[in-house]
Amino acid sequence: MLTYIDEIRAASARLLQEGAVEMVVGFRQGSQPMMNEPCLIRRPEDVDTLVWDSHCGINLTNYLTNRKEKIAVIAKGCDARNIVTHIIENKIEREQLYILGVPCQGMVDKRQIAMRVAGEITEVGESDTEIRVQTTRGEIQTFAKAEVLQQNCTLCTHRNPVLYDALIAEAVSEQTVDRYTDVAAIEAMTIGERQQYFQDLFAPCIRCYACRNACPLCYCPTCFVDEAQPQWVGKGQDAVDVMTFHFLRAYHCAGRCTDCGACERACPVGINMRVLTKKLEKDCVNNFGWEAGLSPDVRPALDTFNLDDPDKLIK
Amino acid sequence: MIKKIAKDEWASGLSKLAKTYRLFGPVAERGPDGARTFHNFKALAPGELPDLDLGNTRLSAKSLVFPQSEAMFTYTLDEDRDDHHILKEVPADGMSRVAFGIRPCDAKALAMVRMNFDTPEYKDPYWLRLYEATTFVGLACDAPCPTCFCTSTECGPYHEEGLDLLLCAEGEGLLAKAITEKGERLLADAGWEEAADQDLGARKAAAEGCITSRIGTDQLAEGDLLDLHGADFWEDVAFACINCGTCTYLCPTCWCFDIQDEVFKQEGQRLRQWDSCMFPIFTVHTTGHNPRDTKTQRVRQRFMHKLKYFVDKYEKGIMCVGCGRCVRHCPVNIDIRKVADLMNRYTSDAAKAEQA
Amino acid sequence: MLLSNLLEYMGIERNRLHMSWVSSAEATKFIDVVTEVTEAVRALGPNKYFIKDQAKVA
Repeated sequence: MLTYIDEIRAASARLLQEGAVEMVVGFRQGSQPMMNEPCLIRRPEDVDTLVWDSHCGINLTNYLTNRKEKIAVIAKGCDARNIVTHIIENKIEREQLYILGVPCQGMVDKRQIAMRVAGEITEVGESDTEIRVQTTRGEIQTFAKAEVLQQNCTLCTHRNPVLYDALIAEAVSEQTVDRYTDVAAIEAMTIGERQQYFQDLFAPCIRCYACRNACPLCYCPTCFVDEAQPQWVGKGQDAVDVMTFHFLRAYHCAGRCTDCGACERACPVGINMRVLTKKLEKDCVNNFGWEAGLSPDVRPALDTFNLDDPDKLIK
Repeated sequence: MIKKIAKDEWASGLSKLAKTYRLFGPVAERGPDGARTFHNFKALAPGELPDLDLGNTRLSAKSLVFPQSEAMFTYTLDEDRDDHHILKEVPADGMSRVAFGIRPCDAKALAMVRMNFDTPEYKDPYWLRLYEATTFVGLACDAPCPTCFCTSTECGPYHEEGLDLLLCAEGEGLLAKAITEKGERLLADAGWEEAADQDLGARKAAAEGCITSRIGTDQLAEGDLLDLHGADFWEDVAFACINCGTCTYLCPTCWCFDIQDEVFKQEGQRLRQWDSCMFPIFTVHTTGHNPRDTKTQRVRQRFMHKLKYFVDKYEKGIMCVGCGRCVRHCPVNIDIRKVADLMNRYTSDAAKAEQA
Repeated sequence: MLLSNLLEYMGIERNRLHMSWVSSAEATKFIDVVTEVTEAVRALGPNKYFIKDQAKVA
């Protein structure tokens, strides 16, 4: 994966030079260890600022919404699935995009590493299989990448982009995992335990809306929480209002979420709100055989009606 | 005069204080596995000690005097009641409070926010009554984070502005330096009276020496406001921004709020909530027009307010204390240090070009 | 169905949410549905969860 960047830069420079695209959406070196910053490159001479490593977890599809230009975008498996969803939902045209597909082996969870070291992290390096961090105490610690990935990456079953114009490297092997053990654990709780679980889960929320804004699916011109007439939900810190926001945000992602992990990654207080979207994802798979963002030619589960759709609810 | 607080006197002093004060301090939030994930300021439960073994709290200390949601008034629309359609002030909790473990950056920020809430023309009763009821007990930073740049913001790891009392770790116990009369009173109330033959000067210098991150702000006041507003870098700075409220909600100096009414049947309350200039609805007019309609305009507003408008209006430096929270927790790595340098350099380049 | 599953997952009993199509010509069905809903909800008792304090009854 460390060699991907050469191909990303070469392809980006070529596309810009040829005028095939007006801009490239990728990552540049961040100012923080284990953080890269999404960026936009317009000139071929600037492609050297692009980087690629295990800290490119942000979903770049977010930066394509409603754009009019011809754009090259660097897309991991999850980004590519969100691009497919964007195309289905008319947020961008397929013809506008040149998708540089990146076979992905997972992005690193910086908080997990920060929790496991003493002191503050000052430097980070990596090999194909390991992450090496140096701390303010001068210690160097090494972690196997596989052990410090974002949780959604460890459960990813579409690491290779599903839609691309060029693949940056050879496809990686896909994983076979049970994606829903955490959802099943919550389902197994009693009603009272579940109530407590979700109250505790959302207690630290400060309603900064980073989860919503980091999500490529959340592109409504005015979000329901921001509506004033009518006001659907209180805007303060009342626990019920906070939970209403999370519940409805998740429900708006039903049949669309690719579990890219952007929401959890962005949360400044570390809430795993993915347990909501994953429940919806699980129900979509089990009831409709639907996984979001696999093909621009298939209409989504909530957009179609079949006579044999299960309908236990409607009497 | 520096006082010494031994480990066992710390707990006994706190329980003495709990009789007359409400105590607040950093408390660790815990992850599902029970490990400490981060610290926030909370009311301390009886017998609970503030957890002073922390880098800095995830959220700033501003919520102690400026809660994220605060009820200002209640009212009823029920015309059978005599007091219908009359705003009634929510009664204040008059009890004195002590807030422990405030880092000097957050304390300076409180002094800075006061310039907004306590002016000769307007005094914000909600903010002031909490501010005046609170004794602020600082905790000096002997191990600042790599993202701390407080020495560039007329602050520092032992800065005393905004504090009544400054604590620093000393072996198993603490040293305490009273800064105001409020601080002296607190030491007496807690029974922490043993004098320590120490000076904090050397420790202060050592801590300041540990700060590795610096920003340049010397040119900001000189620069032309409109030039800076029209600078060519704003689109690049703002590109990655997702317009969430992380930076503004974690910031100790961001003071913007919104006032909302919530009504259920006939009963209503008027609430003050934190607001954020990053949100598109922050400036929407009732006509539907939004003067800051684009992300770039909103990002520029945040940085121009902190690093230019405030500088020009108050002539007290920048509206940033260098705590580094927005840098550490921005989901897309927008870094105020980088933007400050861009703005500062832009101004100095413009000045040079003019001379040439 | 996704909605009722998600609500139940978050701790709201399944029997609090009912959905039915009733035509204006189906008076008997309407009575049956209303009876079923009220009986099901009465059996569960008042909901205290996911309700703002101001809106809580008994």
